[in-house]
Amino acid sequence: MKIGIMSFAHHHGEAYIQNLRANPGVELVGVADNESDRGKRIAEQHGTQFFQTYNSLIDAGPDGVIICSENNQHRPLVELAAAGGIHVLCEKPIAATVLDARAIVNACNQANVILMTAFPMRFSTPLMEVKSRIDSGELGEIYCFSATNQGELPKKHRDWFVDKDSAGGGALMDHTVHLVDIMRWYLASEVREVYAQTNKIFHAEEVEVETGSLELITFEDGRFASIDSSWSRPQYWPSWGGLAFEMITERGAIIVDAFRQNLTIYRKDLGRAGWAYWGSDANQAMVDEFINAIQDNRQPAVTGYDGLKAVEVVEAAYRSAEGGQPVSLPLE
Amino acid sequence: MKVGIVGVGFMGMTHAQAWSETEAQIGGIIAETESEAQALAARYGAIVYPNLEAMLPNVDVVDICTPTHTHYEMVIVAASQGKDIICEKPLARAVEQAKEMINTCRKYGVQLFVAHVVRFFPEYKLAKDAIDEGQIGRPGVLRLSRGSFRPKKPVGNWFLDEAKSGGILMDLMIHDFDYARWIAGEVKTIFAKKVSSGNPDAPIDYGLAILKHENGAISHISGAWAYPPPTFRTHIEIAGDAGLIEFDSDATAPITSLLQSRESDSQDVGLPSSPLSESPYTTQIKEFYAALQGHKSARVSAADGLAAVQIAEGALDSARLGKAIELENLAEVRS
Repeated sequence: MKIGIMSFAHHHGEAYIQNLRANPGVELVGVADNESDRGKRIAEQHGTQFFQTYNSLIDAGPDGVIICSENNQHRPLVELAAAGGIHVLCEKPIAATVLDARAIVNACNQANVILMTAFPMRFSTPLMEVKSRIDSGELGEIYCFSATNQGELPKKHRDWFVDKDSAGGGALMDHTVHLVDIMRWYLASEVREVYAQTNKIFHAEEVEVETGSLELITFEDGRFASIDSSWSRPQYWPSWGGLAFEMITERGAIIVDAFRQNLTIYRKDLGRAGWAYWGSDANQAMVDEFINAIQDNRQPAVTGYDGLKAVEVVEAAYRSAEGGQPVSLPLE
Repeated sequence: MKVGIVGVGFMGMTHAQAWSETEAQIGGIIAETESEAQALAARYGAIVYPNLEAMLPNVDVVDICTPTHTHYEMVIVAASQGKDIICEKPLARAVEQAKEMINTCRKYGVQLFVAHVVRFFPEYKLAKDAIDEGQIGRPGVLRLSRGSFRPKKPVGNWFLDEAKSGGILMDLMIHDFDYARWIAGEVKTIFAKKVSSGNPDAPIDYGLAILKHENGAISHISGAWAYPPPTFRTHIEIAGDAGLIEFDSDATAPITSLLQSRESDSQDVGLPSSPLSESPYTTQIKEFYAALQGHKSARVSAADGLAAVQIAEGALDSARLGKAIELENLAEVRS
């Protein structure tokens, strides 16, 4: 199974190299990046081939590619891969707009290639455990969620994360989609309505996009959930952020912290405590699923359609934040 | 100073204990039936009165610890008799009532305090002080939560009657509405959702609210009557542009008991508990007592109580109508 990586605009791309290498069925054919200095450096570091253009990587005939570009570059790269009959694992959010997300899904459907959205939380072992407890009936009916996916300002990884054009937005765009996807998965229901409030108090001088974001979403069956996707973790917090929620059911509450499995290490070099994660690597399980889906010629556990549905919620949230009232889905 | 306490539920008993730690004298006690008041009256050497009218001539201050829907009428009666008043939160079940209570107290020149006790809990006060000192810069996103089990009452459970208590959004979440406003200032809009299970085997109420403050900060408030007794947990997270405050009642419990279980009855309502040299309820009553004597002002005013009722009423309206509610400027709050 030959896999390539397109763009390292998203820093996850380097982690995916490790994940691909850890899968014995995979041959990393090489990487391409429009920022050739960055691409060459990473290719050298990991001992893989650097392709000067995305087209030349496609011509090398990979079975699948992982796309880690800026959000607004997902569409042209997915369309290029799909046109070449190559399966796609696309970084989240699958696009910055519903328009692009639909085009991405359609392009892959028409080309009959697999489109998987990089939603690693679907492969988080604590979150999978909760899913199986829901499905077993042990927890009874689910009523609502209070959820957080807060982070630090991601600018330290890449500048484009805080650029309105490249990313499509700020904290709301960056972190809402994971929890929306988890809730759609748990509830097997679609979002009907979205309310959002945003602000820019954190890093007000540094960025133009929103850094504070709270949403309250309602599903078709009336169940509801709040999502805090703020970039509210300071850089001196023990980790980058986290994903956690309280789920209220007819039996009470389940409180889940997907990144709780860590050591606290008090480090002289940092001058503070840090959290070192020892839980299972969800990215590995996600990449393995992509490979298995290609191998078995089937849909992956999380698809491009799931990515599109999450982007719809994000776009509705921006409209609500602007208008001050909840916004109904589907969008007009 | 003679204090008359109305109501002998958890709050009436707690306030009586707090008053006993001041120089004030508990002069009278009223309960729904005289027999219910006897034990408490005997403990503090107080007289049991059959009703408010009978007690008022014999006390200087009335401390109202009765169900929310009864506050309005009692405050109007006590104020018109020239008595200073301490009233449990929520100040009233409705904004219009709370306004009238405040205006009536002003008319008769009596003092009115509302017992938003959360402001007296040391962790909440310390967070407020840290913010006022600029330790975390300007607050941007506040997350406040409070959770316990559905209040139980052998008879007449007024907590669960939304017409009387306002349900979870008003009775429980008003604590954090008030606190959010204390930290981030006046609230401009509110959007809220709640769920109340009708299934008697699933005693679950849960509410979520998003507040937008006039200064641009946003607050997320959640309230739960959903956990198994005797759970009571609170959480604070206030993120500023130069720092972050976190508080978790479970994580900061100085004692964790892992005792072999023995059947025991839990109390009727979930209560916070952390070992302290002085109960926050006592701190509160002492501060009101000093304020009544004109020694110093209290950290929470009747106007704050009205503002909190307004936010809670906005939450109820939002949950019912499914839209965000804009809160109007109240002259009683701003003046």
